[in-house]
Amino acid sequence: MAKIKKKGTTGQAKNFITRTQAVRKLQISLPDFRRLCIYKGIYPREPRNKKKASKTSTPSTTFYYTKDIQYLLHEPILHKFRDHKALAKKIARSLGRGEVGDAARLEKTGRPRISLDHVIKERYPTFVDALRDLDDALSLLFLFANLPSTQTVPPKTIALCQRLCSEFQHYLIITHSLRKSFISIKGIYYQATIQGQDILWLVPHKFVQKVTGDVDFRIMGTFVDFYTTLLGFVNYRLYTSIGLVYPPKFNVNSDEKGGELDAFKLESSGIEAIASIEGQANGHVDSKQEAGQTNGHVGSEQEKGQEVEQSDAQRHADEIGRLIAADPNDDRDDQIMQDEAPTDIIDEFVVQGEGADVLDQPRQSDSEAGTLFAPYSFFLSRETPRQPLEFILRAFGCKRVSWDEVLGDGAFTHDEFDPSITHQVVDRPPVIQDESIQDETATEGDHMESDAVSKPARSGRMPGRTYIQPQWIWDCINQGKLLRADLYAPGATLPPHLSPWVKPTKNTYDPTVPLADQENSEEEEVEAEGLVDDDDDPAQVGLDEDMDSINDHGMDVAGAAESEDLSVDEEFGGFASDEAPDEGAAVEEDDDRTDYQRELEAEAAGLPYTIVGSAAAAASSSSKGGVAKKAARKRQEDEEELERRKIMMPKKKRKLYEKMAYSNKGKDEEARKLRGKRRRLEKV
Amino acid sequence: MAPQDATKKRKAITRDSSAADEIVLSDGGGDLEAVFLEGSVSQSEDDGSRLSISHVFAFDEEESDDLDESEESEEQFGTDEVPSDPEQEKVNGTGLNGSAGSISKLAWADEDSEQPPNHIVTEDANGNPRYIYQDIDPIYASDDSEAPETTNTIGNIPLSFYDSYPHIGYDINGKKIARPAKGEALDALLDSIDIPKGWTGLTDPNTGKPLELSEQELNLLKRIQMNEVGEEGYDPYPATIEYFTSKTESMPLSAAPEPKRRFVPSKHEAKRVMKIVKAIREGRILPYKPPQEDDEEDLSVQHYDIWANEAPRPDHAMNVPAPKVPPPGYDESYHPPPEYLPDKKEKTAWEEADDDDRQKEYLPTDHSSLRKVPGYDKFTKEKFERCLDLYLAPRIRRSKLNIDPESLLPKLPSPDELRPFPTTCATIFRGHGGRVRSLAVDPSGIWLASGGDDGTIRVWELLTGRQLWHVKISSEDAINVVRWRPGTDAVILSAAVGEDLYFVIPPIISPELESRSNTLLDEGFGYASSKPRSDSTAKIPAVQWSRPTSTRLADAGVLLKTRLRSTIKVISWHRRGNYLTTVSPSGQTSSVMIHTLSKHLTQQPFRHLKGLPQSAQFHPTKPIFFVATQRTIRTYDLSKQELLKIVQPGARWISSFDVHPLGDNLIVGSYDKRLLWHDLDLSVRPYKTLRYHKKAIRQVKFHTGGLPLFADASDDGSLQIFHGRVVGDLMENATIVPVKVLKGHGVMGSLGVLDVDWHPREPWCVSAGADGTCRLWT
Repeated sequence: MAKIKKKGTTGQAKNFITRTQAVRKLQISLPDFRRLCIYKGIYPREPRNKKKASKTSTPSTTFYYTKDIQYLLHEPILHKFRDHKALAKKIARSLGRGEVGDAARLEKTGRPRISLDHVIKERYPTFVDALRDLDDALSLLFLFANLPSTQTVPPKTIALCQRLCSEFQHYLIITHSLRKSFISIKGIYYQATIQGQDILWLVPHKFVQKVTGDVDFRIMGTFVDFYTTLLGFVNYRLYTSIGLVYPPKFNVNSDEKGGELDAFKLESSGIEAIASIEGQANGHVDSKQEAGQTNGHVGSEQEKGQEVEQSDAQRHADEIGRLIAADPNDDRDDQIMQDEAPTDIIDEFVVQGEGADVLDQPRQSDSEAGTLFAPYSFFLSRETPRQPLEFILRAFGCKRVSWDEVLGDGAFTHDEFDPSITHQVVDRPPVIQDESIQDETATEGDHMESDAVSKPARSGRMPGRTYIQPQWIWDCINQGKLLRADLYAPGATLPPHLSPWVKPTKNTYDPTVPLADQENSEEEEVEAEGLVDDDDDPAQVGLDEDMDSINDHGMDVAGAAESEDLSVDEEFGGFASDEAPDEGAAVEEDDDRTDYQRELEAEAAGLPYTIVGSAAAAASSSSKGGVAKKAARKRQEDEEELERRKIMMPKKKRKLYEKMAYSNKGKDEEARKLRGKRRRLEKV
Repeated sequence: MAPQDATKKRKAITRDSSAADEIVLSDGGGDLEAVFLEGSVSQSEDDGSRLSISHVFAFDEEESDDLDESEESEEQFGTDEVPSDPEQEKVNGTGLNGSAGSISKLAWADEDSEQPPNHIVTEDANGNPRYIYQDIDPIYASDDSEAPETTNTIGNIPLSFYDSYPHIGYDINGKKIARPAKGEALDALLDSIDIPKGWTGLTDPNTGKPLELSEQELNLLKRIQMNEVGEEGYDPYPATIEYFTSKTESMPLSAAPEPKRRFVPSKHEAKRVMKIVKAIREGRILPYKPPQEDDEEDLSVQHYDIWANEAPRPDHAMNVPAPKVPPPGYDESYHPPPEYLPDKKEKTAWEEADDDDRQKEYLPTDHSSLRKVPGYDKFTKEKFERCLDLYLAPRIRRSKLNIDPESLLPKLPSPDELRPFPTTCATIFRGHGGRVRSLAVDPSGIWLASGGDDGTIRVWELLTGRQLWHVKISSEDAINVVRWRPGTDAVILSAAVGEDLYFVIPPIISPELESRSNTLLDEGFGYASSKPRSDSTAKIPAVQWSRPTSTRLADAGVLLKTRLRSTIKVISWHRRGNYLTTVSPSGQTSSVMIHTLSKHLTQQPFRHLKGLPQSAQFHPTKPIFFVATQRTIRTYDLSKQELLKIVQPGARWISSFDVHPLGDNLIVGSYDKRLLWHDLDLSVRPYKTLRYHKKAIRQVKFHTGGLPLFADASDDGSLQIFHGRVVGDLMENATIVPVKVLKGHGVMGSLGVLDVDWHPREPWCVSAGADGTCRLWT
């Protein structure tokens, strides 16, 4: 006979360990344990059966996987924690003895440095793993890069976060891996695809972040420690993979002048990559040359156009053509593109992606992203957010982004009237401000040494330049093509800005599709009849219908016999719905009998038949509700059929089904509400 | 430097003129010199840099010439000193041995040759030289004209003469000389001024207050004045503690001579020192340097390609990666489509709700342009919560069923294919004053009998709902069951009221049928009269069959009555119509009885029955008897008188059951809302469990007329009609399809439909409700 197995030696009882046990086993304090967990990425588990995992567990007990904890026992960081504890004791002793100098020295020199390299290698055995987990890291680091420095958030950390984030952005700009972006009320979402991994992160709007008291910055600091290390290594790998030197040179001067992205100077480790990098330098070299040129800007523009990747120049031309058809102001672009279109040169600038070819991204989208804004140069007015726009424009191939001087250093030109600018991003109301713009430009023009050829027109606008609101850029990149600029002209009411990540699924509301396409037939019919007030709950639609038809009966006296029957039937369904909702289904069988049946039902419901009958008679003439009633009957039949099928389900499946049905119902409700709102809006 | 020092010392000695001072000074100076010279001697190799202690004495101008001269003087002090410089004089080192150093002689003779010394040197009491100065001879010319004159001109008279005057005499001009202040007056004045102890009259530059010395400081000053060491209680000459004896033992413990190593420098130490020296030269040991403030070094991690040789790790079952934050939806946009904006009601609801109750943490808002978008004030909080989720939230893998719920629903044949079955209520039979407990359709399918709480049995015309006949049997007991006798040869209605079982022939039938029925009922009387003769001696029969006592009942058609021991709840006839069984659950051993109508005989088949019997029935074709207890259904072979099978439906409390007309299948209804289908050939466990009623199932019934239908009646006021086709083929299972839910009965006092029965041929069923009506469903 086999040996009797002891309880609690295998399975869940062994697999899980409570937090208290874990802390005791590791012999560290709880805060240290938490830090360790954050570094090592160890998280509590929910055992399948809590009672099996621990007999004494309460609902709030947290469990860890025993092997995780076992694994922590050999962790070098753990030793560092112990060292730190010993040091803290020494410092406390020195302070107790009044040896402040000693304490200061100990604190300065003896603090054990925690290095997280091994943790990163452990947690992310492959680079792709690290990329997969970059969402949270980027979101948090971008937040910290925008935080004000406080006691808990030292400026050093902030500077580090800013540096890492900018480096990452530079990589995206070079490789054109940014795919989508979305302005939400929380901040700006970006999505990049690196090595086939979609990375989505959120950058807050440039405002001072409100920090409430319930935010513990020590915990976030621990995360930031880890994420900075991670992003550092990721950046290194990304940079080296495209043949760049990491870290890039950081120009403190430029940074102080608000250069931001421009403060970094990328260097290639090889010779081949130089060209591509030069191209990225926001057109600085070219801009200087161009500043000297006075009238030959069109020529230089053409050169520029040739420099740009030509692979889908034709496509661009077409687009631009369409664009121009919509916006006749934009004739200069037209000219450029027409010049460009017939030149069918094999481009030698494919090198741009040479280093990046390691990444197995779809090349097409890569090049698409790289060329969306390539032929244009942008000017950002001073009221527009520079950082996101600069980043997006450059990531989508725009070589020359310029902005007003107040927005900081690093622009290709600060001259608003530079003739090479094709698009200007404006975010201010046009009509009233027109005057002020004009004044402003006039004064600016006085100060300007640059000999801008074309003076702005009276409206304060440069002729031949496209003026757009910032949303145009976002909508363009999300749709992967240039949209009509007139919809986004300054002062125009913008089309709604839609999230690019919402996948249209069945039974959900899609704002991009016309209402008629996604309405239920029933809803549509109800709508068509125009009987139902939109505010009403549709569950009551049927009843309201009845009431309405009763009220309306005087209007159309001539009613068909069958409609009478139907309406009568419906009438009953309405009144005696509680007791006998099923009866309506069997109308066709036998009219007399059903009538009788209805009478019985009404009686069961406690209504005198005479009233019902009279109501039915009163409603008989109305034919309006016929369609709706048919629909209602159909619904009832469906319901009955469903009930019938549910009878045959085992309990387990039925529970599951009901759960799913419940959640689906919530979604449907949501979609229905949205449709209702839209219908009302459209009516208005 | 050492010799220079020495001269200084000497000069110091020569400077003073007073003998006593000179002694003191020479004492100290000799001591010091001795010490320093010792030092300079021992350290002669290293440049004598140590001898930097300077003894600064102030030299008078006049004495500077003495200095030069003294350098030339050949003075011999001590003997055993090392001459540091040949032309320098020897320095007395007598202080070495601890005795007070004394200058044996001083030669001044050769210095001022023109002036003889004005003093003589003698020996004082202690043997020290004593200088006795001669009186100075005043030379008249030397008198200073400006010297003050004697001021008082009173001459040589005692001053006491002036005691009573305020002056003490007159000066040369005749002015009174005031009496100088005397001791008492000064003392009085000083006493009148209260000077605090430690008063200095200075101002503390630090505090700006008058500087006052504390007791300690005063003591310190006092000690310094006394030429003592400032520290209190410091003993400059402590007694020597001899750690190693200075005495040589006459009988030492070890007679070994002092080893050489005690005298020569340690080679080992030299080696170790050389090692360190070498290391320093080679740069292996760096002199300590305080670490610089390298801030950028502090944070920068050395970056390298950490994934240089990456190897993918297979995913572990216990690895639960954190779920990603879902991407934003349309309503999070800064400029969403207008339908996503909340209306006023939603807005207030959102604002009033608690933070935790909100479905979304933000309220969709529309901003007409990007510059109007404000900062999101919960950003930090959200990120913090995400951090908390990442390391604090327990994770579990949940397999999410991403299927269409429709696929879970079983495929059922359309009810239209399974017609006919009852769908609507065709007739309502009203008349009972109270719950209708039981009903039965007669074998011909014309009449319906019902019995209820009001104690009446009523017979209705089935199709029209017209009441044909009724009889009130009891005023207190309810009619529990009514059942027709099977077979069309006679019309006999059996009814159970309390403990009584009645047999009724309703007077609605043709006379010959009535007479045939009468004979059937009366047949047993003969048997009963003959039977007891043989048996009466042995035992009084438990059950008496008799005519009802009241003539009213007899007139109404109630012809036979028998009384059992406990309340009868179920009557079930054998198909031949000769036997019937009654079940009275509270009757213990006599709960199940089998009656033989033709013999007016009542048998008690079970001596002892496990569990409380709920229902009983005969097999439709075989001599098999089913008895349902609370949990199980037992089948007995009547001919062999043995237990065949125990069917276990698994229900908690069986309410009723019915046997399929073919006899191989069973349906069971239970008070715990279940309807169970048993295939007797298959298993003792149910083949299908249907649990759909919301309340208990009271009655289940198969259609007996050849249609594959069965129905159940439940307390929730509904009837369910099922299509249950049984195929003769053993390999094929029965198909059970629900076809219709019939609702219409009201629920009274948590009771709904109490009984159901089928029409013998048509797909009609009749139900009895607690609302006092019967309904015909067609």
